[in-house]
Parts: sequence; C-alpha cells; structure tokens
Amino acid sequence: MLRPWLRQGPRATRSFTCPQCLHLLRRSPQQQLQQSLLPSATLASPRRSLQTTAVPESTDRVPLRKQLKQDAKSLRARKRQTREDEEASRQKWELTVGIEIHAQLNTEAKLFSKAPTSSAELPNSNVALFDLAFPGSQPEFQIATLLPALRAAIALNCDIQPVSKFDRKHYFYQDQPAGYQITQYYEPLAKNGYVDLFRYDGIAPEDGDHVRIGIKQIQMEQDTAKSQEYPPSMQLLDFNRVSHPLIEIITMPQIHTPATAAACVRKIQSILQSCSAVITGMELGGLRADVNVSIRQRGDVAGNHRYGGIGGLGQRTEIKNLSSFKAVEDAIIAEKNRQIAVLESGGVVEGETRGWTIGSTETRRLRGKEGEVDYRYMPDPDLPPVYIGEDLISELRRTLPTGSDALLSLLTGAEYGLTIEDAKPLVELDDGARLEYYQDVVDLLRQQHPGTDSKTQQALARLASNWVLHELGGLLTKAELAWDSQPVPADSLASLLDHLQRKLITGPTAKQVLALVFDGDQRSIPQLLEEENLLLRPLSREEYIALAEAAIALNPSMVEQIRQKNQLGKLGWFVGQMMRMGEKGRVEAPKADTILRELILEGAK
Amino acid sequence: MSSLLREAERCIANQNSYTALNALISTLHSSGQWLDRIREADTRRAQGRPESRLDGRLVVIKDNICTRELPTTCASRALDKFTSPFNATIVQQLEDAGAIVAGKANLDEFGMGSHSVNSYFGPVKNMYRSRNAEDLSAGGSSGGSAVAVATEQCYTALGTDTGGSVRLPAAYTGIVGFKPSYGLISRWGVVAYANSLDTVGIFGREVSSVRDVFDILNQHDPRDPTNLSPGTRSRIDDHFTSPRLASRTTTNSLKIGVPVEYNISELAPSVRRAWSRSLNHMLQQGHTIHPVSLPTTQIALSAYYVLAPAEASSNLAKYDGVRYGTSLNGDHYHPQMNSYLYARTRGEGLGSEVKRRILLGAFSLSAGAIDNYFIQAQRIRRLVQRDFNAIFLAKHPLMPRPLDGDEVNYKGSQAQVDVLICPTAPSSPPALSNLVGEGANCSPLDAYMNDVLTVPASLAGLPAASVPVTDESTESLVGVQIIGQYGDDALVLEVAGMLSNKRL
Repeated sequence: MLRPWLRQGPRATRSFTCPQCLHLLRRSPQQQLQQSLLPSATLASPRRSLQTTAVPESTDRVPLRKQLKQDAKSLRARKRQTREDEEASRQKWELTVGIEIHAQLNTEAKLFSKAPTSSAELPNSNVALFDLAFPGSQPEFQIATLLPALRAAIALNCDIQPVSKFDRKHYFYQDQPAGYQITQYYEPLAKNGYVDLFRYDGIAPEDGDHVRIGIKQIQMEQDTAKSQEYPPSMQLLDFNRVSHPLIEIITMPQIHTPATAAACVRKIQSILQSCSAVITGMELGGLRADVNVSIRQRGDVAGNHRYGGIGGLGQRTEIKNLSSFKAVEDAIIAEKNRQIAVLESGGVVEGETRGWTIGSTETRRLRGKEGEVDYRYMPDPDLPPVYIGEDLISELRRTLPTGSDALLSLLTGAEYGLTIEDAKPLVELDDGARLEYYQDVVDLLRQQHPGTDSKTQQALARLASNWVLHELGGLLTKAELAWDSQPVPADSLASLLDHLQRKLITGPTAKQVLALVFDGDQRSIPQLLEEENLLLRPLSREEYIALAEAAIALNPSMVEQIRQKNQLGKLGWFVGQMMRMGEKGRVEAPKADTILRELILEGAK
Repeated sequence: MSSLLREAERCIANQNSYTALNALISTLHSSGQWLDRIREADTRRAQGRPESRLDGRLVVIKDNICTRELPTTCASRALDKFTSPFNATIVQQLEDAGAIVAGKANLDEFGMGSHSVNSYFGPVKNMYRSRNAEDLSAGGSSGGSAVAVATEQCYTALGTDTGGSVRLPAAYTGIVGFKPSYGLISRWGVVAYANSLDTVGIFGREVSSVRDVFDILNQHDPRDPTNLSPGTRSRIDDHFTSPRLASRTTTNSLKIGVPVEYNISELAPSVRRAWSRSLNHMLQQGHTIHPVSLPTTQIALSAYYVLAPAEASSNLAKYDGVRYGTSLNGDHYHPQMNSYLYARTRGEGLGSEVKRRILLGAFSLSAGAIDNYFIQAQRIRRLVQRDFNAIFLAKHPLMPRPLDGDEVNYKGSQAQVDVLICPTAPSSPPALSNLVGEGANCSPLDAYMNDVLTVPASLAGLPAASVPVTDESTESLVGVQIIGQYGDDALVLEVAGMLSNKRL
C-alpha cells in the first residue's frame, strides 16, 4: 500500500518550513518509502555494528547463552556510562529549550474560503479561487475557524486578545500559492498562557513533581499545499491542504530537559485534542514541532542572548519539523551534546537552523544566519482586524470540557481515591468514553449504597475502576475489540459489582458472569445469577475446617515447609486447593485463608 | 436602424480606425451574441423599460479587471494569455445592467506607471498631438480606457486609480475621470496592485454618464472584505443627508477650498491659468473661495511611493507560472540546480518598472528598513488624512470623533470648506519620445513627481474627479480636480458637473 507513506512522508518533511531548508530536507519518495517501512532496521543498525566489532570473528566460538549475557552486560554498562556522562554534563551545562507547535485546527472550512478542509479527497478538488491565489480573488475569513482556536487558547490558559490582526509572511515556494503565508505576527490571537506538567506527564525526574511552562502566544495561520517529488524532475502539488487553518503555539524558553520537552509537546497535543481544537495528532502529521535549543554554563557568566523576554541565555539553534515525541527528545539530546562539544573544544555555537532525521544521532545544519529568510512581515491590507467579545470567551470557557489535570486530581482525590496509574487511563482512553462509562457505573453503584461513609464510597469507586479498566478492558483486549459500552451496559456492570460488594457472589463468580454477559448473555444479572445457581451460599465454619483439614492431610510436607521456613506464600496454594475441592463458587478466599492460618500456624504453637 | 445599435457600430468603427493609438488589448469579435443583446436593449428602450441607462451600451474594461469572455493580461507578459475563470463583480453588475463589454483596455503593467507606456503590448498614444506633431502621453495607468472613451470607441470605461491612474489620463485626454471613495465599489476580480489604495474609477465624456455607471457599481459586495457593509453605507448616507449638509447644494453657495500647497513651482502656466479661471467661474456662480493648507502634500508623494510598492511586492509574489499564467521555466525543474522554479518566469515575465517597484517594496518591508520606511509612511498616511479632516466642513463619517486634541486646535485655525478645487496634473501631457526610447529624458523619479497632486486624495481614500476645462485664450484643454470629504461622492460629482467641459 502506497497510501500511508504518500500521505505522511511528504507532510513529514514539507510543511511549515521555508524554502531553503526544504531543499535540504527533501528526499526522494524512494528513500522515504524505505524509511517508513523499515523503521526498526534503521534504528537497530548502529547496535548491530557495535556487536560485530565487540566480538571479532577470529575469536573462538562463544556459546550463544554466554554471548547474550555478555551483550546484555555491556549494554547495561554503556547505558550506565551514558547516564553518568549525561548527569556530569547536566551538572556543568544548563539546557534551555523553547518549542513552537503547529497544529491543524478541527474546522470544516479553510481559513479564507468556504472550500472544505477534508484532505482525503481527490487531489486539487477542495480549492477556492483565493486558495490558489487567482488574480483578483480576495480572502473571505471563515469566522467559525476562530472557535477551535479560541478553545485551544482558553485550554492553554491564554489571554485572548480583544483585537488581533493578520499579517503576510513572505517567502517563495511552489507549495505557497500567494508567495506569502497569512499569519498573525504583530497582533496574535492570544498571549501569556501556560501549560502545567506533572510527574505523571513524564517530565524528567530532576524537574520534580510539577513544572509550569509559559506560552508566549498562539496565532492563527494557513497551511501549505502538499507536494510530492518524483526525481529527477517532477513534482506534483495537491492544493487540498493549502490554507487549512493552523494554530502556532510558541512556548517560553523555560524547558531544561529533553524529556520534559517531549512531555510538553505530548501534553499540549492531549489538551488540544480534549477540547476538540485538533483531531489529528503527531502520528498523522496534524501536529508538528520546531525546537529552539541553547546551553549555558551553570553558575557562570550569563549568556548574552535573550529570547521570549528571558535574558542571559546562550546562542540558540532551531531544529525544524519534528514529527514525533521521540524525535523531539532525541533531537534535543543530540543538539545539546553537539553544542556542548562545540563549546568545550573552544568553538562558538552559530545561530542556525538545523534538521533531524528519525533514527539519526546528530542534527544537521540546514542554513546559517546569512541564509535566513527575511519574511518582510506586512499587515494584510485586505483583512480587517478580528474583534473578540468577552461574551464569546466566557461562553466558550463555560462549555469547555474539564481539563485532564482537573479530572486526574478529582479521581485521585478523596472522593474516588484512585491511583494515578488507574486514573490516567480512565481519563485518556477512548476520547473520554471510558471515563463517561466509569462515571455511570460509579453513580449506579453509589445509588445502591446510599448513606454509606466516604470510605465505602471510595471503595466502590476503586472497585469500579478496577473492573472497568482491567476486567472489562482485559476482555476487550483479548477479543481484539475497540472500546464499546454496548456488550456490558453500565447498569449490568453496576449490578454485578453490587452483588460482589455485598458478598452475594465471589470474585471468580463475578468474572465468570462478566464474561458471559460480554459474550452476549442477555439475561439480567439477578436472573442470570439465580438461573445459573451462582449466588453464594456461605459455608459454615465447620465446613471450612473440614475442607482445610482435607487439604492439609493430602500435603503434609508443604505444611511443614510453611511452619519451619515460614513460607507464608504457600498458604495461597492451599487456598486454591480448598476452592478446587469445595463446591463451585461457594468457597470465599479470605475466609479460607483465615481458617488455614488458624490450623497451620496457630495449631503449631 | 435602431439607435443603440447604430451607436455601437460607430464605436466598433472607431476601434478599427484608432488601432494605432493602441488603446485596446482585446476586442469583441465583429459578429457575435452581443449584437442580439443590443437589439434586445433597443427593444426594451423603445418599450420604455430599459434595464438601466447603460442598457445596450458598450463599455471598455481596463485589462487588470477580470472578465470571463476576454483575456485579462494586466499588460504583463506574465499573464499575456491568461483568461480569468470568473467575472469581476463590477463586470457582472454592468452586464446585469445591460451593458456590453466591448474590449479590454491597455495600461501600465499591473497599473504601475503614469503614462501607459509600461505595457507588454506597447505604449498607448494620446489622440492629441503636440504642435510639432509629436505623439503625446495618454496618461496612466488607465490610459487605454481614457483614450477609448475620448475617441468614442465605447460609451464609458472602467479604470483603476491607485495614486491617480484614472484622474491623470482623464486630464491628458480631456474627459471626465472619477475615483470614488475607497470601499464603495467592489474590488473582487480587480487584480491587486496596492490593495489599500486600489479604487475602481470611471471614465465618461460627460459627468452624467459617469454618474450612471457609479449608480450601478455603488453597491455592497460581500466577496470584497474591504467593501463597505450595508450598515456603514447607511450611516454615511444619514451623515450627508442631515439637514446641515444636505442644504449645501440647495443654497447654491458652496465653500470652495484652494489648497495653497498645490500651487507648486512646477505648475505649467496654462494649468495655473485654467485653475484660476475655474475658481473665478465658481465665484461668479455665487460660491465662495477660501485658501486652505494641507501641509503634508509634499511628503505624501514619498509616503505613497513607499506604501504602494510595498503592497505590490507582496501582491505580485503570486505570479510564479505554477498554477496559471506564463511559465518560462521549461518543461523540467531540477532542484539540484539550486535555483528557484520560477526565477526565469519572474525575471522575464515581469517588466522593468514592475520589477523596480517590487524591489523597492521588498526593501522597504525588509527587517532593516521597515521602521524607517513602511512604518513612517503609514504614519504620514495618517497625517494626510488628518490634514483633510481639518479643512472639510463635513466630518469624516467613519471617524466621528477627532483623533486627538491636536486636531481641534488645528481645525480652529483653518477655513472649513465643502470641496477642494485644484489641478489634476502639473502640466499638459509630455511627448512619448521624452518617456520611452532613445530620446527619453524622464527618469522614473520624474514620472513619480507627476502624481504629486493626485496621491494625497488616494492616501486618504477620498472621492476625487478630474474634469476637462478649456482655456479660451489659448484653446488648451486642462484637467481640473475636485476633491471631497470621504463619502461625499455626490457633491464631488455635482461640482464636477458645474465645471466639466466649460470654456473659460
């Protein structure tokens, strides 16, 4: 299938860049094909070559097992060394990173015409006269495109500017029909926002529990056309994508670790998606990042550069067009190390634009300062200013879905008491559908247990989370199905968990029933339990003792081991034996465990 | 034979006999559907229900205005075979009113020039000649439209006026040229030179025919984002129909302003004499004359030649031969040659004056120059507007409050007038031999100087008309300009009618 790489490849290298770097970025479709089809091979090759040099062919045959062990050991050693080196250089050098993110807005129409944004159509079918820069055509600003942009700006805690304006950014390239991109340079849509990053977002350990990264501004702009190169001399242009509305999000240079930079991009993507400002993420080319990287020696003289209002920084370089979170992290590490090497060998870091190829270990120079494009920003004389009323902002703010951070702190707080490990997937999975289902189950369960104390309420919430994520989730995974609330409606699961909570059924019975319902059993839970005779008829203490003694009698040596060596883990094995020996669904594990402890441990004293 | 058809055939005959003037780039085929359309218009007229006063009449359209039927070349090699897929709104409006597009008029490439000599299709010639029979400039950039009207190749014609491109050729060819207030007439389909200044203008032999066309085109068009909304239009109407302003024409005593800065030393004696005789005429009609000062007149020209090229450098970036237009790149593009795909298309497809202005504009927008050129010029543009607001009795309808306290003082010290009367051009038309070819002694800067009297009204977006008056003593034909407050187009046309074609 050609389609996936046709769509992704050119976009990955093409959009949001200026002409000079494009010449250098450009690769033939042939190369792109190889790269996207064989990512693992590209990634693995350096390691393989290391192995062949480490084990010269002339040496005597080493047993495979031994060789694998050696390899693993040397890999660990190398990783440790890298970590130590990284830490040493981190102690000496401070890294500073700022990020520019370009994201395709979720809109029906283009920014300045009524043409649809759908890019899956036949090439060059969704274009209006202005999109092609026909002589005499004029822009028709599509007001509705403001809505996702404003939602993004609100979700990123920005001040929406009451007046913003459109400017022309000039550069020549055949994917840019007018010879300029319409953007917002002098008066952007929104300013002064921030994004909060927590430990659970995957920030670097040295950043602690929380960092706040400032957002300098958010501006609206046009996307470019998609071009495909067929060497030696053919290029095809598809203008369907041209003038698709984008937002550019510019962070402050306040990031100091590569991991946190990647976490920042990931977090911004998830915020944009959760407020429906953006649909396609990085993996499909709907989001791209440029990073600005500089270093300075800690505690030493301040650098004399200033970016985004932050002074004392070192000379920065810009790495363009990063198309995955991993690429963001890897490119920053490589560029940081390159700058350190330059400075430590007495050199000077040049202000330049650099590129990054997935799987490589070094950034490469695209163009230096002398090759910088002067974009000759000019206010667009055809487009009036955009005025945004406070009423619109407050309405959008009111209807914006709750942010994931707020949801996480709610779920991990006193009311639900979930672990962050359970709360995160609930919030992130299935576009919020999983969380909605979970909420339904919890609400129904709590209705069954009114007036209970907060501890019970928490227990119910935890129980529900466990079953929604792990039990039901496990069934879906096993059946290789996407999330769907239909097979097990929320009220069925709530009813099942209610029985479990009231100890009317055992855990294993509950799992068994869940599987039945999942496989299509239409009966109600009470009816099913009744008809299948699954309701728990509790065993008496005497019956438990009888079962336990029978199990002990069959395995006296294990009893000795538990008593002599205090191997308490083996108690669980006895619990299992009792459940197998007893009547199906009637032996409750905790009770069996209690009896076993009495007989084996206390009986010995 | 019906009268409209006879008039049309006389126009076509004139088109054929005046081909040497090079006024038209493309014309109607001699036979065609248009003949039937004129017969139908004649019938409607006979029945007393014509579509409009333009019904069945031939109009010529400047070739930087898009037409579906005829090519739209902008007099550029870059578009020499280009036909637009759509009609400009104004073309559609004229056709809906029954008018027939009879040809596309020659011009300075993309409207850049003052003599209609910068054309890929060769220079336009004035039908008048100098005493020693030299060819004269028709004025520019809408020279072809002006000559077509002056030689009766059509009933009326459309041009575009960015810094005087309708008024100057009207003055040189002895006809009426009107540039309405910015934003009244749609620019959808008008190929941009400098969007913030580009205004569609109208040529006619009489003020009445110009007014007829203006009435058809003066409508809101949602496709042009710079076009005034219906709401704004009614605000302007209310403003000028208020009793105080409406009485200006009924009392028959207007306050005529004479801008002293327009009496420049370069003014030819014949022009100065015609100006003064025009003022005298108005005085005799019972109007009063008041000297006024517009101090930014001189620097306005510099500001114009920074702003217009800046916008042009941006607007003309689209002509790369990739999607339409002339491509001179050859069949194959070799990226490894590290040259831009369109370098040759632009290098050879655009003429020297266009390239000069693109370079000027690219420079004035560049990072190192923008503060000193583009930004300063925008400030001057504001001052020019303030100058005009200080001397017009009618307030600017879209700026009801003074910009700052300074203006109040400023206003207090000046006479308050209804319209300004001044010359359109400093001199009579120069010989073409001075402008092009071996004998050319006119630098681009000299050509720019010619626009000094028309540019201020363009920068302020004001309505301005040039009308022909004849100086009886020398029988010389001179263009006299009437400038009004923003939105006061009706008054400008009214005063134009008082002076137009007068022998003084």
